[in-house]
Amino acid sequence: MKKARSIKKPGVNIDMTPLVDVIMLLLTFFMLVATFKAESTEAIEIKLPESVVTDTTKLPEKDIMTLTLTKSGDVFIDVDNYKVREKVFGDAFGVGLFHPDSTSKSEYENTGGMVGGKPFKRKVTLLNRTQMEKTMSDLRLALKNETAGKSDFRIVIKGDTQSDYGVVEDLMDIFKATRNTRFALVTDVKSDKPK
Amino acid sequence: MAGGGFDAPESGGGLHKQKKYKKGKKIGVRIDMTPMVDVIMLLLTFFILTTTLNTPQIMQINLPKGDETDKIKVDMGDVLYIRVAETGNVYFSKGQSDGSEAPPEKVSFNDMKARIEGFYASSPNLIILLKFDRKMKYNLMVDILDEINKAAITKRYSFMKMEDPDKEIVKNAGG
Repeated sequence: MKKARSIKKPGVNIDMTPLVDVIMLLLTFFMLVATFKAESTEAIEIKLPESVVTDTTKLPEKDIMTLTLTKSGDVFIDVDNYKVREKVFGDAFGVGLFHPDSTSKSEYENTGGMVGGKPFKRKVTLLNRTQMEKTMSDLRLALKNETAGKSDFRIVIKGDTQSDYGVVEDLMDIFKATRNTRFALVTDVKSDKPK
Repeated sequence: MAGGGFDAPESGGGLHKQKKYKKGKKIGVRIDMTPMVDVIMLLLTFFILTTTLNTPQIMQINLPKGDETDKIKVDMGDVLYIRVAETGNVYFSKGQSDGSEAPPEKVSFNDMKARIEGFYASSPNLIILLKFDRKMKYNLMVDILDEINKAAITKRYSFMKMEDPDKEIVKNAGG
């Protein structure tokens, strides 16, 4: 009798509970793993070089000073602390732009506010070499004030594969001049060796 | 409970027994999960799209702390110059103990690591001096540092400016 009844029902009821369970599990996984794309990396698109570095150093999670080198030879200086940004660049989403090659202008200036062929929405402060050095120490100082001297920025270079080494050389000169002797290059993990 | 302190306020004829709602008698309540699943699916999609799973790694580089003026004396016999031309060709030349250096040799990428290890075997105090052309691509710099890091040696390398004589050497060796 029971069987006959259930067949007679017009709609088939699917039990969604297992489905919900699995999805919930996936959701929890992604929520825990999620590291959101930072504002800066979304705006400036670069292709990182790949490496098979043997030391298992991961990018620190906070207090990073990122120097992004674009294909066109521009250097964007950015930090992950919005209060510091506000203090130094005058805007919570401000970013500094340094063009080491004094004989030419940066892509941002040439194209009227484009970076990597896309309009760049954040407030950009143009810096020359001395201003760049000053900005670097200003940023560190601002963070030290903010955290009562507890934390310090780690300098990382995010370079596009196609940017010139000369830019890195100029930056190393600046690091030496500002007594920043430790820095790191950000790379992607090389998955396999095509060579 | 019979001799309990106070009685529950019994509303005499208040209970209407809910004759109208036959459904109320059912034992299990069936909740329609579809909207929940929809919302969860949406959240899931959001998290999948915003997650960057390939966490980048870093390559730590330390610059010398001292000023340019305090120079460290090294035996030329321990020095290995790695010069890279604008074209991306890599040239190795080993310093000799008498202060001169061996003629540059073009090294292909694949045996770079083996060559470095070979030099290290003959002089354990090996210091690698990197002279990269300014026009060279950043990608290549990372690749070369990676090769050095991969080699089983005590890593001692230092960046130097590529001066005109270096460019001349590279040029004479084939650019």
